[in-house]
Amino acid sequence: MTHDPYSLTELIRSDEFIAWVMHPDANNNERWRLFLENYPEKKGTIDAAREYVILLAKDTGRDQPIETQSVRMWNAVESQMHNSEKWHSNVDEPAEAERVISGWRWLRVAASAVLILSIGSVSYWFYCKQGNGRVSLSAGNKQVAVNDVIQKYNATKKPLTILLADGSSVVLQPGGHLSYSDVPAANRREVTLTGKAFFEIVKNKERPFLVYSYGLATKVLGTSFMIDASEASKEIRVEVKTGTVSVFSINNLDKKEIDEESDKPELTGITLSQDQRIAFSKDNGKIVKLANQAKGAVVDMDILKQGFVFDETPVHEVFETLERVYNVQISYDKVKMGNCTLNATLIGQPFREKLEAICNALDAQYEIKDNQVWIVGKGCK
Amino acid sequence: MAVINVDALVGEKTDQQLWQRIRKGDEQAFTVIFEKYHRTLYNYGSKLSQNSAIVEDAVQDVFIDIWRLRNNLTDNVISVKFYLYRALRRRIHLARDKFPVTEEITLLHDTETPANTGNSETSLIDIESASLRAKQVQNLMSQLPGRQVEALTLRYFDDFSIEEIAGIMGVSEKSVRNFIYKALTSLRHNRGILLISSLIFCLLGLF
Repeated sequence: MTHDPYSLTELIRSDEFIAWVMHPDANNNERWRLFLENYPEKKGTIDAAREYVILLAKDTGRDQPIETQSVRMWNAVESQMHNSEKWHSNVDEPAEAERVISGWRWLRVAASAVLILSIGSVSYWFYCKQGNGRVSLSAGNKQVAVNDVIQKYNATKKPLTILLADGSSVVLQPGGHLSYSDVPAANRREVTLTGKAFFEIVKNKERPFLVYSYGLATKVLGTSFMIDASEASKEIRVEVKTGTVSVFSINNLDKKEIDEESDKPELTGITLSQDQRIAFSKDNGKIVKLANQAKGAVVDMDILKQGFVFDETPVHEVFETLERVYNVQISYDKVKMGNCTLNATLIGQPFREKLEAICNALDAQYEIKDNQVWIVGKGCK
Repeated sequence: MAVINVDALVGEKTDQQLWQRIRKGDEQAFTVIFEKYHRTLYNYGSKLSQNSAIVEDAVQDVFIDIWRLRNNLTDNVISVKFYLYRALRRRIHLARDKFPVTEEITLLHDTETPANTGNSETSLIDIESASLRAKQVQNLMSQLPGRQVEALTLRYFDDFSIEEIAGIMGVSEKSVRNFIYKALTSLRHNRGILLISSLIFCLLGLF
């Protein structure tokens, strides 16, 4: 019987085709573009095959552990690690061991509770079109004991995008560390930051969003801003990109006072609006407003420079921008959606809101899993 | 977009570097490897055993072994990921010693492409609705034999090559291709049923 290497089944199992769907690059894009040019009648088959490859990947990846399982597995591994440590402990020279441990200690704490819990652990799928009732980060959250703290440490050399349960996103820079409670408080949203991060916060006046870094609290109701609270630096810097932010020192406040200050529905203390910046001294707790001009001196963060203004912009450029600043990979049907263009200003919106806005405009659906985003749409006329 | 390939290379290199650090007793490197792979390993393990306790134990044991035997780990592991998956499969295999090894291999060689490929291909392509396709794939997974699901998982979710999958599953590359081919063929048959049921559903909607 005749054998068509470009039949649906053959495409779905072709290494070359799978590679294109999963890891598109200039080479294979060109190869399949040429193929379609020569065989335009195959377009339907290609589209269907691509969708099946994505569906197969998605469906065979459904059995990932929930957070409690991840924690359980790590705890088991860790307890064994330190059992065996005892046998080997006299191998290491004490001085050496001391040094290693100090740098490593918090990481271990983080790891045992949480490293595991985080980013990738929760696989969740949701669709733009189910807009009402945003899917919360994880149904599993509620099963975890109260007061579990989620810790994220960016050990990579690239930005790490963290999606919070309220829909906000945080782009954590290399070396940065972000922690927050697994079970959100009713009246406010709180995270603790060391290192650099860019925040895009969902508006919610009833639940202010607070970032604590060393002695500084940064409070917002919904906006985007950057905080640089690097361990090595004597200063913490806050720079506002959109909206309004307030900052106050918590060095001289007790727990109750911090709570009161945090819960106030209005922004108190020193307020900053767009493009304004402050520096907070870790030593004396003083907050100084900085001049606007010295741009770029503080940050080398891609996302802070990005205006997210799209005017008749081809979608591939839009997606490339998102891929770069959020360090995610976006898979979409280049054949179907390649011709689409987008008009939108998405500055200050959290990552998911951006995707939602784009998908609405394109009549598409999106799925996020770890740092992978899949966008499926019918394309544009 | 070429960047992604570079990333893949860097990623590979990083695994290697982490591996070297683990061999020297670096706990942080070990944590990173655990964090990076334990979820997908668990996912894969779930295709080998329905019992989540067995899978959890096996994933744990793979990592515990690596740490325990770190001084004796091979220096030049080609792919850390491949090593982990193969180790996990052995673990689960040990846990349930009646793991079917021969059962499906005998079934492999008989069936070939069904005669009516042309027709069903066309209608398969014609399924427009994404949700119908998603449902179809989901249905398929619940019906396929274990080893076909295993091969599909390693190929599509875990992104292993056919050669690597053969290495992990301990079968020939031809068998792996067969597993996948048979699974995809079932997709076609499965489709007919779905189409009919959705048609009935639509008709009911009319009245």
